Parts: sequence; C-alpha cells; structure tokens
Amino acid sequence: MESGKIEKLLERYDEGKTSLAEENILREYFLNGEVPEHLRSYQLIFMFSAKQKNETMERSPWVRSAGTKRNWYSWTSIAAILIVALGVFFFNDSSRELNENDLGTISDEELALEKTKETLNMVSQFMNEGKADLVYLKEFNKTKNKIIQID
Amino acid sequence: MKERTFLKIIDPVKDKMYRMALRLLTSKEAAEDATQEVILKLWSRKEKIKHYANIEAFAMTVTKNYCLDQLKSKQNSHLRIVHQNYQNHGPSLQSEVELNDEMDWLQKIVENLPEQQKMIFQLRDIEQYDYEEIAEIMEMNQTAIRVALSRARKAIRENLIKKHNYGIR
Repeated sequence: MESGKIEKLLERYDEGKTSLAEENILREYFLNGEVPEHLRSYQLIFMFSAKQKNETMERSPWVRSAGTKRNWYSWTSIAAILIVALGVFFFNDSSRELNENDLGTISDEELALEKTKETLNMVSQFMNEGKADLVYLKEFNKTKNKIIQID
Repeated sequence: MKERTFLKIIDPVKDKMYRMALRLLTSKEAAEDATQEVILKLWSRKEKIKHYANIEAFAMTVTKNYCLDQLKSKQNSHLRIVHQNYQNHGPSLQSEVELNDEMDWLQKIVENLPEQQKMIFQLRDIEQYDYEEIAEIMEMNQTAIRVALSRARKAIRENLIKKHNYGIR
C-alpha cells in the first residue's frame, strides 16, 4: 500500500470519518511490517488497541436461578424449624427423666448404710489429712504468747 | 430463559464488558466485580431482555452506566488511587522493553482522557463497533460521537508526540 493513500486515510481517521473497513486497512498496514518514522505514533496507537483487545476476564461469571434460590430458602427454614422442635422435645424429655428416675439412689438399705459410712469415713480421713498440715499454726500462738502475757 | 442459555448469550459479550469496566475503573478486581454485578443485573431482568433487539448493545449500556455510577459513589474513590495492575514482563529484548514502555505510556494517556472520550475510543478503536451501535450504547447521536472520537484520537497522538520530543528514546 502506497503511503500517500495511507496518509489520506489517517487524515480522515483523525476526523473520525473513516469506516470500519477503512480502519481495518489501516490496522492491517500498521500491524504488519515497517512504517515510515513520521507515522510511528499511529503505529503505536494501533498496536495499543490491538493489545488491549486481548485482555479477558479471568473469573467466569455466574448467575443463580431465582427458582432454586427460593426453594433453597424454604427448605432451610423447614429444616431449621424441625431441628429446633426436635431439640426442644428431646431436651425436655431427657431432663425430666433425669429428675425423677435416675439419681443413683440405692434401694438396698444395708448397702446404703455401708456406702454412707464409707463416704463419711473418706470425708473425715481427708479432713484429718488436711488438718495435719495446719500444725504449723501452733507456732503463731507460741510467738503470740511470748509477746502478750496472758497468764 | 434458562441459566445456560443466558450465559451462552453473555459469553461473547462478557470480555467486552470487562474491558469497558477496566477502561473506566482502573483496577482489575473492580472491573471483574463490576462485570459480575452487571451480569446479575441482566439476569434479574431476563424477561425484559428478550424484547431488546440488540442484547449486546444493551449489556454494554448497562455496563457503562454501572461503572459511571461506581465512579460517582464513594465506594470507588479509594480504588482510583490504586494503579492499573501492570503485568510482570519477563526478561525480553531491548526493543520489546521499549515497546512495553510505550504501551504503558499509552495506557496512562488513555486513562487521563475524559470519561466520554475514553469510552468512545474503547468502543471504536478497540472493540471496533460501528457508529450505529456506539450511538446505541452511549445513548448519544452519531455526530457527537464522531466529534468525541476525533478529539480522543487527536489527544492521544498529541500526548504521545509530546512524550517523544521530551523523553530520550
């Protein structure tokens, strides 16, 4: 393509008067091969435009269909209600059972006596063990008695 | 309309919408979010879409309006500061580096154009729409579009030449 014709097209290009076909001729010319120095700026612009067209969206778009969305919501609410209802029901039931029936009560009297004794013994034993450590407290009294003469 | 049909219609347009958003919003994330948002908007109005003769032009108009709204709202004000995500170019020949410099420079020039010129340049020189479609997308008449396009083209070239005279090549 002779450069005279290109320059004429460029003039019209600058005025915004070129058709798409003419712009394609220009694009073809500038993207393939050498151009004279004074047309270099045009070439850069065409290269820029061509490069920009390669930009693509990396994420893929999505849409949700309104129908399934509504269904999904209703199903979740039904499930939630069921869970709450069943939860309340079972919780109440089990707590009642716990209160009335199963406190670990021993029905055999003798065994109950033995168990009670055992428990009380254990308590006193621990009491004594704990008290043994308090022996040091006597020292306080000794010192106190030295200072405050009671007798 | 089923989801799949809708996505099939949108698929060839989505990159154009994305590039339009990218031209206006300056960050890739914002542009992707905007495109997704617009697609959802179109989906919610899918029954009306059938009546549009040119769905592509309508999609582009919605994108344009959405991005302009974004620019006006505060939400996007901090995104304007974020610079265009430049890709990391691997090691390349000197001439290629120079070319990339020029491309980055052009990017900045286009970024600084008024919004309207930016969009029209995008639609015509990058996406290669004809004037009729651009008029439909921009909701302007064709004469005004030619004038804006001519201004944009001249401004870009003037800036480019200015840089060449000042800078060291």
